[in-house]
Amino acid sequence: MIHFKNMSKYYPTSSGRSYVFKDVNLSIPMDKSIAVLGPNGAGKSTLIRMIGGADAPSKGSIESPLNISWPLGLQGGLQGSMSGRENVRFVARIHGHKNTKSVEDKVEEFAEIGKYYNEPVKTYSNGMRARVAFGLSMAFDFDFDVLLIDELNAVGDMAFRKKSEAILKEKYKKTKLIMVNHNLPQLKTFCESAILLGQQTIQYIESIDEAIEQYKQSHVKSS
Amino acid sequence: MARASLQIMRDTVHALIMREIKTRFGSSKLGYFWALAEPALQASFMAIMFSLIGRSSLSGAPVAVFILVALIPFKFFSKLLPQLAASVEANKGLLAYRQVSPIDPFIARLLIEVATFILVYIILMGILAWLGFEVWPADLLELITVSGLLMLLASGLGLLLCNAVLYWQDTPKLLGMVTTPMMFISGIFYSATMIPSQYWYLFTWNPLFHVIELSREAMFITYVTPVGDAYYVAFLALIFNAAGLMLYQVNKHRFIAS
Repeated sequence: MIHFKNMSKYYPTSSGRSYVFKDVNLSIPMDKSIAVLGPNGAGKSTLIRMIGGADAPSKGSIESPLNISWPLGLQGGLQGSMSGRENVRFVARIHGHKNTKSVEDKVEEFAEIGKYYNEPVKTYSNGMRARVAFGLSMAFDFDFDVLLIDELNAVGDMAFRKKSEAILKEKYKKTKLIMVNHNLPQLKTFCESAILLGQQTIQYIESIDEAIEQYKQSHVKSS
Repeated sequence: MARASLQIMRDTVHALIMREIKTRFGSSKLGYFWALAEPALQASFMAIMFSLIGRSSLSGAPVAVFILVALIPFKFFSKLLPQLAASVEANKGLLAYRQVSPIDPFIARLLIEVATFILVYIILMGILAWLGFEVWPADLLELITVSGLLMLLASGLGLLLCNAVLYWQDTPKLLGMVTTPMMFISGIFYSATMIPSQYWYLFTWNPLFHVIELSREAMFITYVTPVGDAYYVAFLALIFNAAGLMLYQVNKHRFIAS
């Protein structure tokens, strides 16, 4: 379960506080993988970042006894001035690994980006970033209960997508996903339930089909 | 793999130190050399200038030691502050991991600079001793105390600057404009005994002036500072640290939020 307690998130703007979420009280069961649905600007990435501890609510709290990954996305998580290998080494170190070599090699093997692995991350393409970010979370025996994925597999090429999907499916039984993705069919292959964002609140819907239906009705009127 | 929070912090600070050293000194292989060479060159330049105008000693102390004992702490201070001010910003991408809290890069940079400071101090004094100067401090304990106070002062100010950067991105630029003139009013090329006593009030507000005065007193048996006051420095350090930590606590999630 992930518990939202009186959680609010706002950004200061010139015309006062702009609320993304306001006084959300909700408990999300984590027995199924969850898709995050919502229009642009509804706070999907913000939500994922807050669950992952990379951002903090302005008020209230998000609590969970589960072991949750950091947000796997294109922004954040990888420091541009460091090489892929140095980023991996850093993450291994902060997780208490004394010998980082084996982790570095595992990610290198997974990412398959050749000599770029030793170049600064800021020189990477989106696809290469995704490969390293994804490999990073897979190379450790973290046994996350929840893996947070923010549009990560959307940027990879076919080979990478196949590979990551295979791994995700394999880990499926133990690890649940919270996933942001604008590709609805892909969401459906991974997730069984969904949370719907909008009007500064979060709604949990047990069936993903129902959630997609509701999302389409309220936001995709024109199509 | 359950680790106590202190253990996590230690691992994180260690990882950050390794990363900082790699990016800072790794990019130019001479990085560490310059940390040593810069104050050494400046001090020898000053020593040569003074000997050209016929002075071999200032306030009864050899010019080179007189200047170096002031220049090393000043360099430490003026280098550390911009480093600390930018510490959180420069590691923003890494704050995505919940293990990394905003104070960790601050601590990492502080530790690196303090270690460099101590190393520079020992090596440069060693070189001077090798050249035949008397460099063993008259009062080692006082020198260590004063240097410790300087570190506390710098960390408190650095913490305040970190917070200031949150509100005003250009803080480091202003800082650069302030530290250069500071060099001339902190008593590096002169001591309080060389200033008429009615003008001391122009200098004594500056804690760095006190630190340098006290360092000289600790260093030279012949020098007794008329103004240096360790309590003043300690008092300011306490205030800066307390205020900096309070502001850090208040702004904690502004550091994390993008």
